Amino acid sequence: MNDLHFLMVDDDEIERLKFKRVLQKSGYPHRISEAQHGEEALALLQDTDNLPDVILLDLNMPKMNGLEFLTILKADEVLKYIPAIILTTSNNHNDVLESYKIGIAGYVMKPLKYEDYTAKIQNLVAYWSSNELIQK
Amino acid sequence: MSTNIEVIKRALHREKEARKQAEKILEDKSRALYLLSEELKDANEKLAQGLTEKTSELKGVFDNLIDAYVLMDLSGNIIKFNTSATELFGYDIQKEQLNVMSLIYKEDMKYAMTSFGQLVHEGSFADYNARVYTKNKGVRWVHINASIIFDAQKTPIGAQGIVKDITEQRTIEAENKTLLATLEKSNLELEEYAHVVSHDLKSPLRSINALVNWIKEDYAPAFDEAGLKHISMIESTLEKMERLINGILSYSSAGNGAYLEEHPIDLNTIISDIKNILLVPSHIHITIIKTLPTITGDATKIQQLFQNLISNAVHYIDKEIGLIEVDYEEQDTLYIFSIKDNGIGIAKEYHDKIFKIFQSLGDYKNSTGIGLSIVKKIVDLYGGEIWLDSEPTIGTTFHFSLQKQYNHNAT
Repeated sequence: MNDLHFLMVDDDEIERLKFKRVLQKSGYPHRISEAQHGEEALALLQDTDNLPDVILLDLNMPKMNGLEFLTILKADEVLKYIPAIILTTSNNHNDVLESYKIGIAGYVMKPLKYEDYTAKIQNLVAYWSSNELIQK
Repeated sequence: MSTNIEVIKRALHREKEARKQAEKILEDKSRALYLLSEELKDANEKLAQGLTEKTSELKGVFDNLIDAYVLMDLSGNIIKFNTSATELFGYDIQKEQLNVMSLIYKEDMKYAMTSFGQLVHEGSFADYNARVYTKNKGVRWVHINASIIFDAQKTPIGAQGIVKDITEQRTIEAENKTLLATLEKSNLELEEYAHVVSHDLKSPLRSINALVNWIKEDYAPAFDEAGLKHISMIESTLEKMERLINGILSYSSAGNGAYLEEHPIDLNTIISDIKNILLVPSHIHITIIKTLPTITGDATKIQQLFQNLISNAVHYIDKEIGLIEVDYEEQDTLYIFSIKDNGIGIAKEYHDKIFKIFQSLGDYKNSTGIGLSIVKKIVDLYGGEIWLDSEPTIGTTFHFSLQKQYNHNAT
């Protein structure tokens, strides 16, 4: 199983804690980088020796929102190959459509119940762990 | 000699007789002529009188036309205005010379010339819409139908037109258009707003849910039974809050008729879909009394309507065998549907209240008090009404009507 490097972009601290905790508890080998919004994430992505394998992206964020970040990411010759997955509360049809238009590898709704969330994230990590990725 | 005289005398006599006869004929003829001419004169007089009558009748029609009537010669000089035309253009053509060219709004001149060309070549034009100058009312928008007038030899001698002042009509149309655009925009904004608000409200709920779970996971041994119960109560309260937020979201989009789709919907399919979605307990039977019609409408809204009512029926059934019956009757312009259950029933004093938002009778735990208010909104969207018969402990029948053809834009 791959040792996955995630970049989690979410302005909500508890959301980031949730993700870290689920990965920790489920025992997958992993590494997590965190950013509070798009700008911070882009700054992290400047370090090309340390690029993440998968990006998890919230949509509603201050400064630079998810769709703006995604647009910049997909315009970059190198970064565009990193699979980006939307992790959001918005089931707004326009958001879903717009995300797929720009280019995403998945769109996951955050459920209310923590146990539902845990199950979804475990599935997601299991899936990407069994994928061949460009890095490595 | 005497013979000669005799001859002459006889001849004279004959001549005299002949003249007498001729005079008599002449007299007869001239009498006949006189009578004929009297008759003619009479006829002429009658004709003239008739003509005058026709003319004054026409003049009445002409003057009383609500629309302006304009008569002009082939060079565009105005010959006649009726009362409305005089009022519209403000010129008294008895007193002042007026050419139609001077009335045409500068920017519309090219269009006017094209239309005038059509009038000359084809004999008429219709639905000319452009601006004109008037003496007292400034620039007005007018609609004109015009035609060429010919004399008895089929030579064109002039042109006539009916002119309608459409300035106000155009203003109102433009206002309506702006209003509609504003309305559409604010509807969109409202929906967008509801999404954002619901997102912002749900985020803290999710966080609290996670935090409570971590406390439970990490410190479970430290809690006694009451403490654990309180934690599970926090969780169920959070779930209720989320249902409320979702309810508000669907309520706010339920009344929005701007994006209604119009498709044929087989209601029998809708009911069987609902049976699958609702996880109906096995002791409750949902029956369609007679095959339901296929109606035209927005499938999502119509399903929501039936689903909310059937879901209510399912939740409020307290009998060992639950019966839910869906039926309908068809009238000229509408369908009346009914959904009957043998549940706990609704006391008379609540019959109006239940359709208001958040007015749940709250007897089952997942009730938010939004379901029936959404039902009411959807029925309103289709120009229908909803009412109920109910007897506490026996059951409830909801009736609602839906218009077969309904123009949502009119609302």
